[in-house]
Amino acid sequence: MEKYLLDYNWTVMAPELIIAGAAALLSIIDLLMKEKQDKRVLASLGFVAVLGALYFTVSRFGQQPYEILGDTYRIDDFGLVFKTLLLTGTALVLAVSLQEAKRKEITAQGEYYYLLLTALLGGMILTSSADLITLFVGLELLSISSYILAGIRKRRTDSNEAAWKYVVLGGVSSAFILYGMSFVYGLAGTTNLYTAQERMAEAMGNGMESFVYLSLFLMLFGFGFKVASAPFHMWVPDVYQGAPTPVTTFLAVVSKTAAFALMIRVILGGYLFLFNSRTAEGLELLTTALLVLAGLSMVIGNTVALRQFNNKRLMAYSSIAHAGYTLVPLATLGPMLFESTVYYLTAYLLMTLGAFTVIGIVERNAGTGDISAFAGLSRRSPLTAAAMTIFLISLSGIPVTAGFFGKFYILINAVATQHFWIAAIMLATTVVSYFYYFGIVRMMYFRPPVLEGKVKVPPASALVIAVAMIGTVVLGITPQWALEQLGEVNWAAALSPLNGGAPPAQ
Amino acid sequence: MLENAWTIPLFPLVAFFLLLFGRKSWGEKAAAWVGSLAAFASLAVSAGVLAERLSGAENSLLSFSWLTLGETVIRFGIEVDPLNALMLLIVSLISFLVHVYSYGYMKGDGRVPVFYAYLSLFTFSMLGLVVSANLLQLYIFWELVGVCSFLLIGFWYFKPEAKQAAKKAFVVTRIGDIGLFLALLLAFWYTGSLELGPIFAAVEAGQVPAEMVTLIAVLIFVGAIGKSGQFPLHTWLPDAMEGPTPVSALIHAATMVAAGVYLVARTFPLFEASPVALDTVAYVGAFTAIFAASIGLVQNDIKRVLAYSTVSQLGYMMLALGSAGYAAGAFHLMTHAFFKALLFLAAGAVIVALHHQQDIRKMGGLWSTHPGIGWLFLIGCLAISGIPPFSGFFSKDEVLASAWMDGRPGVFAVGVVAAFFTAFYMFRLFFLVFTGSFRGEGNRGSVPKSMLWPMGILAVPAVAAGFVEYPTPFFSRWLTEGTGLAAEAGGTVPLWLPVLATLASLAGVALAWAMYVKRVLPADDLTKPIPWGYRLLKNKYFIDEIYAKGVVLPYRWLGAFLRGFDRFVVSGLVRFSAGIFRTVGRIGSAIQNGQAQTYALVSLVGLVLLIIGLTAGRLFG
Repeated sequence: MEKYLLDYNWTVMAPELIIAGAAALLSIIDLLMKEKQDKRVLASLGFVAVLGALYFTVSRFGQQPYEILGDTYRIDDFGLVFKTLLLTGTALVLAVSLQEAKRKEITAQGEYYYLLLTALLGGMILTSSADLITLFVGLELLSISSYILAGIRKRRTDSNEAAWKYVVLGGVSSAFILYGMSFVYGLAGTTNLYTAQERMAEAMGNGMESFVYLSLFLMLFGFGFKVASAPFHMWVPDVYQGAPTPVTTFLAVVSKTAAFALMIRVILGGYLFLFNSRTAEGLELLTTALLVLAGLSMVIGNTVALRQFNNKRLMAYSSIAHAGYTLVPLATLGPMLFESTVYYLTAYLLMTLGAFTVIGIVERNAGTGDISAFAGLSRRSPLTAAAMTIFLISLSGIPVTAGFFGKFYILINAVATQHFWIAAIMLATTVVSYFYYFGIVRMMYFRPPVLEGKVKVPPASALVIAVAMIGTVVLGITPQWALEQLGEVNWAAALSPLNGGAPPAQ
Repeated sequence: MLENAWTIPLFPLVAFFLLLFGRKSWGEKAAAWVGSLAAFASLAVSAGVLAERLSGAENSLLSFSWLTLGETVIRFGIEVDPLNALMLLIVSLISFLVHVYSYGYMKGDGRVPVFYAYLSLFTFSMLGLVVSANLLQLYIFWELVGVCSFLLIGFWYFKPEAKQAAKKAFVVTRIGDIGLFLALLLAFWYTGSLELGPIFAAVEAGQVPAEMVTLIAVLIFVGAIGKSGQFPLHTWLPDAMEGPTPVSALIHAATMVAAGVYLVARTFPLFEASPVALDTVAYVGAFTAIFAASIGLVQNDIKRVLAYSTVSQLGYMMLALGSAGYAAGAFHLMTHAFFKALLFLAAGAVIVALHHQQDIRKMGGLWSTHPGIGWLFLIGCLAISGIPPFSGFFSKDEVLASAWMDGRPGVFAVGVVAAFFTAFYMFRLFFLVFTGSFRGEGNRGSVPKSMLWPMGILAVPAVAAGFVEYPTPFFSRWLTEGTGLAAEAGGTVPLWLPVLATLASLAGVALAWAMYVKRVLPADDLTKPIPWGYRLLKNKYFIDEIYAKGVVLPYRWLGAFLRGFDRFVVSGLVRFSAGIFRTVGRIGSAIQNGQAQTYALVSLVGLVLLIIGLTAGRLFG
């Protein structure tokens, strides 16, 4: 049956279309603007577009899943939840960027804003793809935009170095993903995830296990790279340190969340049969592989962080460790897989965004990215210091914050599925993490300030910090409420193929 | 109104945040207004709630589930039954009056907004404690009031005694808190719930072994001992007088220290189910009543006398509860809150008038210059001594009656003697401060109006609160309605009982008058024949010294030993494991050499190892 473009219900793609339109519009306006003109108006436009997309995303909740463009793109609750996170994260990053651009740190302002939007668009496509081709397009859109963003301060060598490493290593990881996908196509003869799943299940039964596993492992390389899990984490510290702080924030928060959506979608969508397999051997293999990645990330992230003296490098290792925690529910297929993953990603988004915003302010004020920039912050800006303390407490997973309950639910997943060793690693490395998180707290409260005078907090950043802080605390006080909300989402729709979204035959 | 009860603790909480964040910018007056208005709003809603309760509304319980762990739901909520409706009014009323009073007392301190912030936080915590519907929530607020108490005792942290006292209060009450925490865990373990209702139901249905009920009840009582300054954990309360006097009135006389009594009353069904627990409460209460009263006889610091009197009166309440006098205990809690707050505020006024002189030997003759304060203080003294028709008479009478009717003549006798002591030391205080000639130096200052009228308001219930129970026992019937507890002891109370109690009190007053006004019986004549007795009382039975030698010193030794153990064994292990982490970290950062080739190689090697490790055994084995 032939379907025409206009037969589809295009309104379901409103968020993507808004972002794509806004990115195009911004690039045109940028062309028309004079070189020296203040381009912060572009940021405001981008911000409005993101809010608009957010509105359409949220209003779509609770409706039937819908597939569009020849079943390559699907709008289901799973994608919507992740899109909400991505959009929220980007909106906050845009707000923070305003001041970064103001102090002329980023010269190519116009490009900066619409590359953020295209990266966001890539992430949104990732969360909604039901086809390997669209998946890869989304992934590359996100990646390539991020490469340029990392090097947007083109006159600075560290920024260039970061971008170069990111391109090369990102290219390697893309190649692995593509290689893995080619095996999937070879086995299944289709690029549609759900059809591929059925055919691969058949292939499994026909003695092709090793190719199925090979495709999976090759893709794991790429996924591991994107979510920044060990041993594919090597790029993270260098890129996080070299990129401008708002871009680092974007990478740590938005890009990582999108990568988790990709990973969950492909593993649960494409390899679901492993979980149903009669021998359970495939499941064990997958679980062990993911848990090894998770455990390695926790150990490497938290231990190497002990030796870091640069704020962003420290946060990079912390982000590696957090990728490890977040992998656990997926790996163990725990009872609250989706809820606990999304809860943790939300908590992670809030606390990391907040922490990076504070780091940006402090760095600029002190002129150094060293941890010593935090010395005596409690006296120079008590509120900022208090907010940072809350973020750090949450990152280290101490009650009553979002980070605590996030870890708590993840632990429940691990324990409920009897994977005690990963729970033990998680607890042990969490304790290790106190050391470096509280190193910053010690700096803020117990070291005399190096510089004099108050630290100026721009209003937009203050707003972002306030939002992040309130979110962190409120999620920590009412975890049950948040979990119940997440429980109402129709997660199962992400697992099953669907043909009902097509328009009726003419 | 009942459905709005949840707003009551919120007003002071909002005030706390306003004051905390505005502590640099608010002036003294603005801070006083913010704090007082918030307390007043709580008072207004509390009054509405109490009025609705009095007109016979049902118990109300609002709650939401906070955390679900498998089968168990941990809920947060508020509950309003007669007992906590009453507590709400007492706490918010006294808190409001103390807020107003503090403006005059703390004038010129320099940290007034912080003071008000702490007071507001305390009011929030105390109100939250009162409405808690489950033990966990109660425990959280229980700790919060402890923290506020610590902050306020040590408010003048530059005074070493205040710092010491704050520390002592915190540590000593923690001992009790551990008891409460264990009780909470045990109750949860045996009944699967932290809510009071289901726990009582489980106990009533016999699901909990009898000895466990006893253990839980006694552990709860241990928590109460710590908070309410009962023997043997009473030592922190007199020292807590180092805090500002309004704090002593609010926290260490009327509300927080009564939380222990409240806790026992709140969990009374547990105690009723265990005779052993009831006996413990009664005997500890009675002993504390007489023990603290006897120390109060010889103290010379105006606030310390009142502090020992508080300990002794709290003992009275415990004595009543232990003798199955639920209503009597709550009744005495209420009247005591009024007259003791009045006494403390009046003492604070005296202290202000005498420029922070607290030694009663250097006072005297204040009646001639400050008759207003004199009258208020006299009302407080008459009430606490139990002279009819002041409020203390009725409540003390009920306490003694419940001891007698419960078949505890020994406890009853102790109560009567303690009443005699109380009357004596209170009037000793009154006569030394207000009559005779001034023995201090310097002039006597004036007391601001804002300090006087809160006392005036408190004087009204201090005089008249007793009449809620007379001529008909309206109060106890209302309080016990629907709880299944007995309103009053069975049988009629013998007529001679109130007469005896009153005579004991009058004897105490008369003795004080003879010794300190008429001086027909100089104090020295009494102390000389038994100097060791006087020394024993003067040094508070050497309890602090016994603790220092018997508890603190062995702990120091143990501490020294453990420190050695810690240094050589534990810290060796810690260093060893920290070393492992450091080594891993060092290797990790050594690999991080900045070369992209290495990075890709590490990833690739990682992948290959992963594949081989996981599949080798399967595919080739």
